[in-house]
Amino acid sequence: MSLSDLPAEASRTLAFLRRNWIMSRRNAFTIFEILFWPLVGMVSVGLLAEFLSLPASTRSFILIGVISMGTVQVCQLDVAYVLLYDVWSKSLKHAFIAPVSIRHFLLGSWAAGMVRGLCVFAILAAGGALCFGFDLRPAGPAAIALFLAALFLDALLIGLCVCILVLLLGNRAEVAAWSLVSLMMLLCGIYYPVTILPAPVLVLARLFPLTYHLDYFRSFYGVQAAFGHNLAIGNGLVLLYLLASLYALSKAMKRAAKTGIVLRLSE
Amino acid sequence: MDLAIDARGIEKTFVTGFIRKRRTHAVRGIDLGIPRGTIFGLLGPNGAGKTTLLAILATLLRPDRGTAKVLGMDVLERPGDIRRCINMSSGHANFLWSLTVRENLEFYAMLYGLRGSRLREKTQGLLRLFDLDAYQDRRFEACSTGIKQRLALAKALVNDPKVLFLDEPTVGLDPDVSRRIRRAIVELHERHSMTILLTTHNMAEAEALCHEIALIKDGRIRLKGLPSDIKRHMHLGDTIRIRVANARPLPDLEGLPGIWEKTVEGRSLVIRLDDHKKRLQAILSRLASSGCAIEDLSIEETSLEDVFVRFAG
Repeated sequence: MSLSDLPAEASRTLAFLRRNWIMSRRNAFTIFEILFWPLVGMVSVGLLAEFLSLPASTRSFILIGVISMGTVQVCQLDVAYVLLYDVWSKSLKHAFIAPVSIRHFLLGSWAAGMVRGLCVFAILAAGGALCFGFDLRPAGPAAIALFLAALFLDALLIGLCVCILVLLLGNRAEVAAWSLVSLMMLLCGIYYPVTILPAPVLVLARLFPLTYHLDYFRSFYGVQAAFGHNLAIGNGLVLLYLLASLYALSKAMKRAAKTGIVLRLSE
Repeated sequence: MDLAIDARGIEKTFVTGFIRKRRTHAVRGIDLGIPRGTIFGLLGPNGAGKTTLLAILATLLRPDRGTAKVLGMDVLERPGDIRRCINMSSGHANFLWSLTVRENLEFYAMLYGLRGSRLREKTQGLLRLFDLDAYQDRRFEACSTGIKQRLALAKALVNDPKVLFLDEPTVGLDPDVSRRIRRAIVELHERHSMTILLTTHNMAEAEALCHEIALIKDGRIRLKGLPSDIKRHMHLGDTIRIRVANARPLPDLEGLPGIWEKTVEGRSLVIRLDDHKKRLQAILSRLASSGCAIEDLSIEETSLEDVFVRFAG
């Protein structure tokens, strides 16, 4: 790729960002994704914390989990939608016949996901502050920015997995767009410290970068970190998995061209 | 010959099922050469392998065996370069349902790297070309089949392709819209001299549009050539009906070559023969020498439809 190709490259990437943006704007379920479900989750968990009269650090622990979960969920959905929109509208072959590659649709949809994820993060952080007195400031802007970047990378990874599954299994895999994050909720310690998990499950939990990212961010709110070098390990894992996922996605695309799933999903 | 598409020994088998694997041989060793600038028709019954072959040439599908080149580029080695020069439109037009006609067009134009004023000019030009101006702000889900089909063709031109694949471009459309689409295809070909490969079930369409056709069945090309050659090759022949005015006995046509069958229906002589263009003069001379006054004459040429019915059966 030469420098003269850059404008066309940018246009291809922007196409996916713009498409996700328009689709989000037009569809009612976007309101539910950004506002309704995250806020319902936040309010119900916050009220539970009130009812149990939890100490401030434990309350922050849980609210950080809820905010992170909402952010990751919305951002990864955008990445997953990059294929799912085409699958649902049976137009996948038109995207695949165009001269676009993995980087275009992933970067474009991820950018859309980061915008929406940032909105959810801001809404939930504001909601937490207003309803339950949660103060985001102790971590400081740099740590918040680092944490957000880490969450977005986690979301990219999950969205990538959904895309791989869609190319392998077709629209049977669309359920993964919603269920993979629930698996994270169970294993990465959204509502509880992973240290309470049974030993074999803890081993699994330690394989997920989100576990370390949450551990890192919570340490700014009076919660004892469970792992040393949590940010470095989390980022290391996420980069490793991203490389593996990108490789798997390129293989899945080659396999899709072999099995004809792109055609089947366009009929 | 300068070929836009050059496929040799293409084979494709689909395997379905996890435990009990089922194999469907969609394409079984197809050789196909399509010269640049021609409109080539792929005809065949459902499941013959037309769409599979089209998808292989359009780099959407990898062949199991064989080589295929589009504009001299191998489909397996340079799919990205090929994609810049080709495009596709399908009969069952499906695009993003929430996007308007214009937004859909802009989205695909951007995928081909268009931006800024070029993007705007291109989309505006295509909207105008396919009479879509009035519907540009209508969401795709709210469009009629005809509008969707015109959008599909407009989308297929966003990158000014050198090779255009049309998969049953008029399927499900009413005759008026079909005619307009066919006219648009001819105009596109004339204006841009692009190579067009189209699949169709509509024989009138194939006859009207295609310079050359191939009949495909069970994954193999059975016949290929000019529509007229194919009709001759199938030996279905032509039919001449001659009504005579006077009451003289109808003449015997014994000794005239190329006549397969002769029947008398009232005052009409119905003659089935190999090629009316070659035989008509001799028949008319024989009738004239017998003193028959011809009142009416009609010629029914074998249509591609007849060929297709015979072929598919």
